[in-house]
Amino acid sequence: MSNYSMRRFKNKLALWIGALCAALAMIPLVSILYDVVKNGASSLNVDFLTSAPGVIGQAGGGIGPAIQGTLLLVGLTIIMGVPLGVLSGIYLSEFGDNPVGRVIRFLNDVLAEFPSVVIGVVIFTLIVLTFKSFSVIAGALALSIIMLPIITRSTEESLKLVPNSIRDASMALGIRRWRTTLSVVLTTAKSGVVTGILLAIARVAGETAPLVFTILGSQYFFSGLNSPMDALPIRIYRLALLPYPYAQAQGWGAALALTLMVLVVNIGVRLATRGRLYTTRSRA
Amino acid sequence: MTLHLQTEEKQPLSREEILQPHRTLENSKVRTEDLDAWYGNNQVLKKLNIEVREHSVTAIIGPSGCGKSTLIRCLNRMHELVPRARTSGRVMLDGSDIYAKGIDPVTIRRRVGMVFQKPNPFPTMSVYDNVAAGLRLNGERNHSVLDRAVQQSLELAFLWDEVKGDLDKSGASLSGGQQQRLCIARALAVQPEVILMDEPCSALDPTATAKIEELIASIKGNYTVMIVTHNMQQAARVSDFTAFLYLGQLIEYGETTSLFENPVEELTERYLTGKFG
Amino acid sequence: MPRLMDMGLEKLRNMVLDMAELSQNTVSTSIDAYVQGRDLRDRIYSWSEELRMLQDEVSELAVELIARYQPVASDLRFIKSCMEVAYGFSRFGRYAHDISDVIGIFGDLSSCDRQAVKEAGSQAKDMIRLSIKAFTERDVELAGRLKKMDDVVDNIYLDFVKKSAHEREGNLKCVVSGTLILRYLERIADHATYVGETVPYIVSGERSARK
Repeated sequence: MSNYSMRRFKNKLALWIGALCAALAMIPLVSILYDVVKNGASSLNVDFLTSAPGVIGQAGGGIGPAIQGTLLLVGLTIIMGVPLGVLSGIYLSEFGDNPVGRVIRFLNDVLAEFPSVVIGVVIFTLIVLTFKSFSVIAGALALSIIMLPIITRSTEESLKLVPNSIRDASMALGIRRWRTTLSVVLTTAKSGVVTGILLAIARVAGETAPLVFTILGSQYFFSGLNSPMDALPIRIYRLALLPYPYAQAQGWGAALALTLMVLVVNIGVRLATRGRLYTTRSRA
Repeated sequence: MTLHLQTEEKQPLSREEILQPHRTLENSKVRTEDLDAWYGNNQVLKKLNIEVREHSVTAIIGPSGCGKSTLIRCLNRMHELVPRARTSGRVMLDGSDIYAKGIDPVTIRRRVGMVFQKPNPFPTMSVYDNVAAGLRLNGERNHSVLDRAVQQSLELAFLWDEVKGDLDKSGASLSGGQQQRLCIARALAVQPEVILMDEPCSALDPTATAKIEELIASIKGNYTVMIVTHNMQQAARVSDFTAFLYLGQLIEYGETTSLFENPVEELTERYLTGKFG
Repeated sequence: MPRLMDMGLEKLRNMVLDMAELSQNTVSTSIDAYVQGRDLRDRIYSWSEELRMLQDEVSELAVELIARYQPVASDLRFIKSCMEVAYGFSRFGRYAHDISDVIGIFGDLSSCDRQAVKEAGSQAKDMIRLSIKAFTERDVELAGRLKKMDDVVDNIYLDFVKKSAHEREGNLKCVVSGTLILRYLERIADHATYVGETVPYIVSGERSARK
């Protein structure tokens, strides 16, 4: 075989191996989605999505409180976590080229690698024990702490992708530094920042362990920020532990509901933030 | 030929006259006094004295790394934005020091605009928003004021006719030459007195370059233009005065015609004729 | 490292030096022919035509170099000077031709007093030689001597004309032919001076004012 056709063969081989790996990586994703849809679709109906859980051991009841809890928790988490995370990211990217910035970046990375259950335990000790009650606030706090380093990191990385020439152009127009950062740099990096936020939301929406220590889970609808609350991951976990077939079917249904929620949020936010003039490449 | 006659009538300044520090010309717009500039420990400008006349085009030439870009970045206080960069000496704009205590660099940058080597329109903004950015982000909200400023600036930059139907298109969708003219329009929109250009044509083809050069010639009646260029023919074409920098020092400075025909310094002669190094 | 333009400059220089040699020969021959009373019009005419064509070639090459390389500083001054010098050389040829024509028009002039022409002729020949040497060697000092020599030729010419104006009984043929030839020699000396003036301009950009 000549040198050239050998090289062409190698090139094709590498391409096929790459495609094969990509296909292999898709198998778990597709099989999970397939299982979730196959086992969960039959449970999904309006009644199931809106009513409270029934008596244990008897069929009937739904996951209404769990959906309400997850929406509430994620909402509170976003309110607490996103502004803080984005602002820290801005600080690290635009002003963090100094010892303070490096320390913050290091601590942020450490926090990102903390097991989420540890964060749950810490909040349990600090908040739940202090106020002698499981609560929505405690849960949102735990999730915010999990979300914070993810958003900080992804925001910092997205802003760093904005070329310095853009900052120079803005500064040279006599635009102040903070204005430049917010109106020019952040706008340019919008797509990357939003992607980071979405990944973080998806991540915290599925957290289970810290919730067990903070909101505990409950049979009832919302009854105050300082009382226990249900959430989909906890409900799935509890239903899955029950020995009854109806409960397992309900568990699949809850899993499908959670998956769909994350998907809807993702697509919705993407559509809403996709400006007409999108030219910056998104990172994800 | 007419250029030549003008030069002879005006009695070219002698080298001593031009290089004499702290001398004030009647129509001096920008003047540096013993300007030093560093990046960290690396001194890029050494006791540089240059005086730029109002409503003229001054070209700055010299080999790479001679401090051309640093010099103009010192004139609108962009130099200090680079980490560990610093300056000493004075830069007089209309007779007052822009490095004096209490001077807000932002006000200086509004008076001394800048155009960069690579066209850098704001990628997520439309053509209109790019031009309006300087005014808008400084608080101008009045639509008719913005509309007028955008049109005027685009006209000055010879771009209006090409983009008037596409003001909502992304600035990044224009061709390279159009992008650079957009950047010039953006700089003109805040109505600066001085325009600094850092090799504005180095990324452009000859046609786009010619357009920018015509633009420079057409605006110099109302602005003071300083242009850094690697292209000596460009300096010869567009400028009234030329300064030759080498290793952070001003080697020769004078009227473009006489500097290109009869450079006084051996170093200038060698650089111009390509016998350098 | 030689520059691309250097090849062109070298070629230009060689062309100008060829012209220098030819123009020098042409002028010498025509003066000698007059002094010796020989009619060499045809030869001198063909040389002067050749000089004229060479001058065109020099101009063309100079313009090409300017268009191609946009020379500046000493390169630009050299090219500009080559054009001026080449023009001077072609004028030498033209005046040599005019001198040789005099014999053709006036016929035998052996009875005239040719002392003034001899003197002015040898001075002009010296000037041409000197101007070429100064140009070739870029010798400013040498070029500076041309002005004084030019004055000598001017004075011979003026003296001859003044003398003729007051002389009632001179040979008209001798007076007119002598005046014409001296006039041509005076012009040749002027052009030699101009050639010399390009030397300080090439070297340092200095332009001396012309009379």
